[in-house]
Amino acid sequence: MMELRRTLAGRIALTVIATMIMLFLALPIIVIIVTSFSNNAFAAFPPDSWTLGWYKALFADGSKWPAALSLSALVAALSTVFSLIIGVTAATALTRSELPLRSAVYALVLGPLLIPQIVTALGLFLLFEPASMLGSPLAIALGHTVLASPIAVLILVATLRGIDERLEDAAASMGAGRLTVARRITFPLAAPGMIAAAIFSFITSFDEFYISQFLSSVDTVTLPVQVYNSLTFDIDPSVTAISAILIAFAILALALVALVRWLGSGRQDSLLSVENTAGIAAPGGEAV
Amino acid sequence: MAATLTAHAPARPRKLLASRKTRVGILYALPVVVYLLVLFVYPIFSTLFLSLKNTDGSLTLHWYVDALTGVNLSVLFTTLRISAETALFSLVFGFILANAISRLKPLWAGVAMLIVVVPHFISALVRTYGWIILLGDKGLVNQAMADLWVPGAPYQLLYNEIGVVIGTTSVMLPYTVLLLYGVMRGVDRRLLAAAASMGAGRLTIFRRVYLPLVTPGLASAGLLSFILSLGYYITPALMGGPKQTMIASLINQQVMKQNQWNGAAAEGVILLLLTFAGLLLVKVITSLGASRKKRSAS
Repeated sequence: MMELRRTLAGRIALTVIATMIMLFLALPIIVIIVTSFSNNAFAAFPPDSWTLGWYKALFADGSKWPAALSLSALVAALSTVFSLIIGVTAATALTRSELPLRSAVYALVLGPLLIPQIVTALGLFLLFEPASMLGSPLAIALGHTVLASPIAVLILVATLRGIDERLEDAAASMGAGRLTVARRITFPLAAPGMIAAAIFSFITSFDEFYISQFLSSVDTVTLPVQVYNSLTFDIDPSVTAISAILIAFAILALALVALVRWLGSGRQDSLLSVENTAGIAAPGGEAV
Repeated sequence: MAATLTAHAPARPRKLLASRKTRVGILYALPVVVYLLVLFVYPIFSTLFLSLKNTDGSLTLHWYVDALTGVNLSVLFTTLRISAETALFSLVFGFILANAISRLKPLWAGVAMLIVVVPHFISALVRTYGWIILLGDKGLVNQAMADLWVPGAPYQLLYNEIGVVIGTTSVMLPYTVLLLYGVMRGVDRRLLAAAASMGAGRLTIFRRVYLPLVTPGLASAGLLSFILSLGYYITPALMGGPKQTMIASLINQQVMKQNQWNGAAAEGVILLLLTFAGLLLVKVITSLGASRKKRSAS
């Protein structure tokens, strides 16, 4: 590749190939957004006339989409709450305490991210089926939390690691109680990370397919399962509209995470800069 | 804090503090540990147990024999084949793209990474549907080929292995690009400069310095996309034909349609063992790569 880059032709060839690969990633997304406004959802691309009909059809009488959408939102909200509780406590244990078997806890947390989701889903099915909890939104949310909570833990561990413990120590040395330190120092600094953890937990649950499929019943079908069913069994053209909405939703969520990060990025620096210019910064402090 | 205390006194408060910190740690670690033990570890062990249990309750390897013979064995081979194809393509494309991005100016690299990362957070189901629209007989791809007078167009690109590999590769590609981009950013440019200063040509530098440095990263990225493809279900099920049934689809069918839980459990355990073997290999390669890097830098 390097000898190719020497010539202009080689440079152009590499750029073209790299652009094609990026197109390979972006094209399926672009095509859905365009097709969702097309008059004929399954015909030629680019479309010859435009319509909002598929979006209207989503909320027409007898449509299955509103129920699936609200079930998915409920399940995602529940598992976001569970994941945040687990994430905050676990991240505190992993970064702010002397934990025996720390690496074992880490391995346990990483497990659900590494093991094939279908195996996790099968295991949860075997757990909830005898309890006749199939189709219960709570069971699906508990299942999704197995996948969402590790993500929350990892994000919050990174967040707490990034907070200079000297700030907490300084507050404590001036007589602030542990709760005050947590409320006035740690929480405001960790807020962007917590929001990011919440958003990623929500997306993980909202998009989750395997566990939902194994734990759903005929009446309780989450949005991804409904999308899958309408792609395999009853071809329903309004699936393009719901797909476009899911794309918009994901992009919006990512933009929100970026915004929160950007808003939160200056906070700690402004607190630390006073100390650093005064020249009393303790050696060995963690670089931020 | 201990400055005013006597010589042997500091040990006590520190020890007390340490044990308090340990207790707090255990208390805070409890939710995640209990949760994952009950809803993750226990279900996997019950899957393992079920895969070894006969209908009358005695232990048996019967389900594994079932899983490793006849149609089920060919499903296993199909899974390995499609995963290998996917890993190969996402490695090649990922290498080219990550290499191109690592040479861009920061602003453009950021834009390019956005194009790689954003699709990763969009449901794979939705992206697969996008490919179904694109690859149909009248889809954009076939139309473009017909317009360019490609002989034989339109091609059958859906419900066969071409479709599955295209779809799965596009799902796995963001992982490999992200992993390889990290590896390439980690390459010490001074080593390349040192080789150049001693008169090595570009090809020699690439082959003798650059490639050995990135090879461990390449191998782990390829293996990881292989592992992730092994248990993948959505795209092969939607874009493949009957010949592209993968092990995850088989598990799903056995549970949902045939009510054959023991068989599904055995398939699941086989999938789990393959995953563990792959992860172990990744770990070996990573530690090999780390020692190589240390040697070249010293």
